[in-house]
Amino acid sequence: MKIMTCPVNGPRAITEFAYGGEIRPMPNPNTASDDQWADYIFNRNGAPGMKREWWCHTPSNTWFVAERDTERDLIMRTYLYMGEA
Amino acid sequence: MSAIHFENVSKTSRAGVKGPAAAAWLAILGLPVPDAPNTWLPLEGGLIARLGLSEFLVEGPASAQLAAPISHGVYPVLRQDTALVLKGERLNDLLLETCSVNFLAIDRRTRPALLTSIAGVGVTAIPDGNELRLWCDCTYGEWFIDTLSSVANELI
Repeated sequence: MKIMTCPVNGPRAITEFAYGGEIRPMPNPNTASDDQWADYIFNRNGAPGMKREWWCHTPSNTWFVAERDTERDLIMRTYLYMGEA
Repeated sequence: MSAIHFENVSKTSRAGVKGPAAAAWLAILGLPVPDAPNTWLPLEGGLIARLGLSEFLVEGPASAQLAAPISHGVYPVLRQDTALVLKGERLNDLLLETCSVNFLAIDRRTRPALLTSIAGVGVTAIPDGNELRLWCDCTYGEWFIDTLSSVANELI
């Protein structure tokens, strides 16, 4: 069984979690070109490697950040989002 | 005859609040506030549970106190749960069949409140003595009880 650690609820089976997508900085909609905006809306980076992703522990609805190595299928760390520094 | 005894306590009064000022507001009301996330404390005829960092469930007569005017940073949480109390010698076998948390490894002296899935339904679970208290969304209630009952019947 694959285990993920929720920052609030602790280690739980992966079936208790939902994937929320990779964290991607949104370009400024007032200054971005159509190509930049279309790339942000429609394209995703499927290349394996280190990813920062949104995940949710569904029984408690706790959203948090997981850093995953999708090439080696490893969860490196998880933490609550406290805003960008 | 089931190996597990199910008691439906959904009609027990309960109320919930959440928000950054919820803990301080509950303390002003004179309620004991669990310090750690996902822990609970007994109240006269009920309990208070801290669910995550800033959400609280109060069950029993004390829940009427949460009808007081709330302050800034406190938000009411509608609690229309299906609430169950499960007990029986095969209770842990039922949990092994339906949940991925090992309840035998939990230190009950710390009064933990677990938010997990049982039979695929998100629940709040409080092990208390030889009982297990469960709360889940009431829209799952009938199916949840039927499913746990059918698993329990297979344990005989």
